Amino acid sequence: MDDLEEHLGLHKHLVDDDGDSSDNSSTLRGKKLRLPLVQPMFVETKKETGFTQSCRMCLEQIREAMLHHRWQEAAEYMACYPQILEDKACYTTKQYKELIWRASTEILHHHPKSTIEDYNIIYERLKHSGFKLYLKVSLEHSFHLMLQGKFEDAKQHLAAAESWRYGKESSAQIQRTKLIQAYRSLLDFIIWSEKKVVLSNNNTVDALSENQSMHNYFRQASVNLKGILSNPGVWDPFILSYVEMLEFYEDYEEALKVLNDYAFDNSFPPNPNAHVYLYKYLQRHGAPQKKLIHVLKNLQLLVPSHELMLEYTSLLLQSEKQKNTQKALGIVLEMLDFACWRNNLDRRLGEHHQ
Amino acid sequence: METLPAEDPASVHLQPGDQLKVYSRWDSDSDSAPGSSVMSASATDRESNPPSSAGSNTESGSEWSSSTNDLRRLTSRRRRSQSRMTMVKTLALIHLALVWSREALTLSDLLRLVKEGHIPYVNAYEELPEEMKLFGKDALLFSVLSIPSHNTLHREAQALVQFLQLPAFPPISRQTLLHPALLSLRFLTDANLPDELHRWVCRLMDRAGMADPRGFTINPQSHGILPRYEVQTAALIIVTMKLIFGLDDHTEWELSNQVSSQDDSDDQFNLRRWYRLMQAALIRAQKKADQDVARKQWRTKKPIFLSKGEKNLIMKRKRNAEQVQMCFEKLSSCPAGVQDISPSSFRFCWGDKDGSDGPSLHHMKVDRVLTQKLGTLTPQNSLYWHPALKSCSTLRKCRSHYSEVEATLPRSFVWLLQLFSFILDVKPYYLYEEVLEVERKVFGAKHAMYPKGKKKKRRTETRTGTSSRVVQKSGGKS
Repeated sequence: MDDLEEHLGLHKHLVDDDGDSSDNSSTLRGKKLRLPLVQPMFVETKKETGFTQSCRMCLEQIREAMLHHRWQEAAEYMACYPQILEDKACYTTKQYKELIWRASTEILHHHPKSTIEDYNIIYERLKHSGFKLYLKVSLEHSFHLMLQGKFEDAKQHLAAAESWRYGKESSAQIQRTKLIQAYRSLLDFIIWSEKKVVLSNNNTVDALSENQSMHNYFRQASVNLKGILSNPGVWDPFILSYVEMLEFYEDYEEALKVLNDYAFDNSFPPNPNAHVYLYKYLQRHGAPQKKLIHVLKNLQLLVPSHELMLEYTSLLLQSEKQKNTQKALGIVLEMLDFACWRNNLDRRLGEHHQ
Repeated sequence: METLPAEDPASVHLQPGDQLKVYSRWDSDSDSAPGSSVMSASATDRESNPPSSAGSNTESGSEWSSSTNDLRRLTSRRRRSQSRMTMVKTLALIHLALVWSREALTLSDLLRLVKEGHIPYVNAYEELPEEMKLFGKDALLFSVLSIPSHNTLHREAQALVQFLQLPAFPPISRQTLLHPALLSLRFLTDANLPDELHRWVCRLMDRAGMADPRGFTINPQSHGILPRYEVQTAALIIVTMKLIFGLDDHTEWELSNQVSSQDDSDDQFNLRRWYRLMQAALIRAQKKADQDVARKQWRTKKPIFLSKGEKNLIMKRKRNAEQVQMCFEKLSSCPAGVQDISPSSFRFCWGDKDGSDGPSLHHMKVDRVLTQKLGTLTPQNSLYWHPALKSCSTLRKCRSHYSEVEATLPRSFVWLLQLFSFILDVKPYYLYEEVLEVERKVFGAKHAMYPKGKKKKRRTETRTGTSSRVVQKSGGKS
């Protein structure tokens, strides 16, 4: 670590020197460069030992092999590289652990003989190799398992990660924990919907116990999701899953409230999808036209070229009010500004004129 | 030579008792590690037991004051650093022992054997028997993260010669394997050069006044300089090649054209053909050497820790690393680390067998590049170039001006330097300095060629790197 710090210090010094001697040095003099420095990893330092030289050259070979897609060779050199994790100085720098994590997963993705076991081993080892990486690696591990369809395992790992705490919680850590919670709830939902399918397929006596476990999942998921959804952000898949569960249990007011909050809360970033979801929900439940128009009005403000604008115009025309028809014309003309609608709308305009 | 013959203790004139006591607690009959090979037996004979108490350092310090005469020569810093035995010093001692017993293993060979793992060095303490426990700060002496360079080891051995106050070494005569006369045969074979060149190397050696056995035998009383046998031999070969072929990027290729244009060129040595073969083999060997460096495993099964608390942490990290390693070993079905190869004195293998680096050119004749002149054979090439030979007076601070001069040197010469640097595993500037040294001896440039008044001017010229190429006629060199 001393080497790296000295190295970075040296590099910064060089960069400042370059800044001073460049042509437009008058502007740069006295100012530190604001660009993030790429940490040099392949450069020899003065105090390089045989060990660090070996590691550096191994890393170069790994990089070459990966860039040329020689995955077998990359795997061979990767087998020689982990000795760097045993070095005290190198161990404490996050750089090397993250490097090994990302390079290993990349090699595993492409190597023909990689198995899910290999992934598990790598993720587990790197999770426990350092505190800064734990949450990130947990999340990626769960994603991977989700992609493989192993929802239970993914959920297990996320649950373990959720309850993990170390030292003072940094803001990055808090954010990641929220993300982990959200995905854990999503997994609950996935398992719940799987069970729902099973339930609807066979109406046997087990239905009761199945129902019970389903309900458990629902409760777990909903508690978390409610918490998550109160945070500003873009939570599209989570909202949908929550609403679906609520609809199944026929808690329509809650669903409506959630959707309204999501669409109209000012602290949330403007999200046209929210309005789409709300509209579709209202449509499903036969809301009055006025309400539909109200929702779509907001959507039009956000995304004038949305598909649903066509429905909006038809709704407006149906209402047969003078100012509404004028509005509809205005909307259609606005849509014409967008290249994708030019062909389709001519017909519409013709209709409208009549 | 394929194996390292065991050292015969009877031929060593050291008294184990008194000399070695100064260092630290030594047991001259310490049991060597069980199950280790013959080579490591000779290594562990010289290895110390780990100093079991911190008091050993102060003891050696007090014994120090008894022999102050020669120690006044050493600076205080070196005195302090010399109070502890290190792995590097062990290797230096082995080298001295090899020179004493006149084995044909040079320092380069020793370092190569260490790098390939035939001599335990990196994790040597693993060979120690179970009863010997390593603990405390002195145990860190055994944790090695670098293999010393040729230069470093040579300097350590040099210091050791002065420190140990040994009597005169056994003489190195022309029949000894370490003498350039015989060592050059080995390098000529390794570099796939014709055997006939050996005659010329010996002639050059005589001309340079290097044939005298006293020049190669270490005599601590008189000058105590430890010669660098293999580097000098390689320098001799390079100068011979320069004499015969010119190596100025023109002469050698013209000579080569002449040879190939003749009818009976099959058994004539053709430099161009040699260069092609050699370059291909060199590139392959360099690539393999780089790969071996990248794959080398430095960490050990039994790490050293200073305290119990550290132990858990270190073992946990080790387990992590090992798991990742095993995962990839299984995936690639290729074990980590470098494959075991049997030790050999030669870097390249020439011949017709499978796995050789190319066809052998040893039997080729060099007649075509020689002519008869005044009744004796001399090289056709009558011009010889060399850079400024005046030795830099600040050589203590600046190791070599090679990096400044290199761009002006002919490419053939630079390539030849790189070839022999690779064979010996030293840096090119190291070999270059030795070549200059040989040239100084041949041309007598040490003796004031320039009047005293002009000395200063010459110095600055050398330093700025303007190499004045003096072209001399080398006629009559027989």
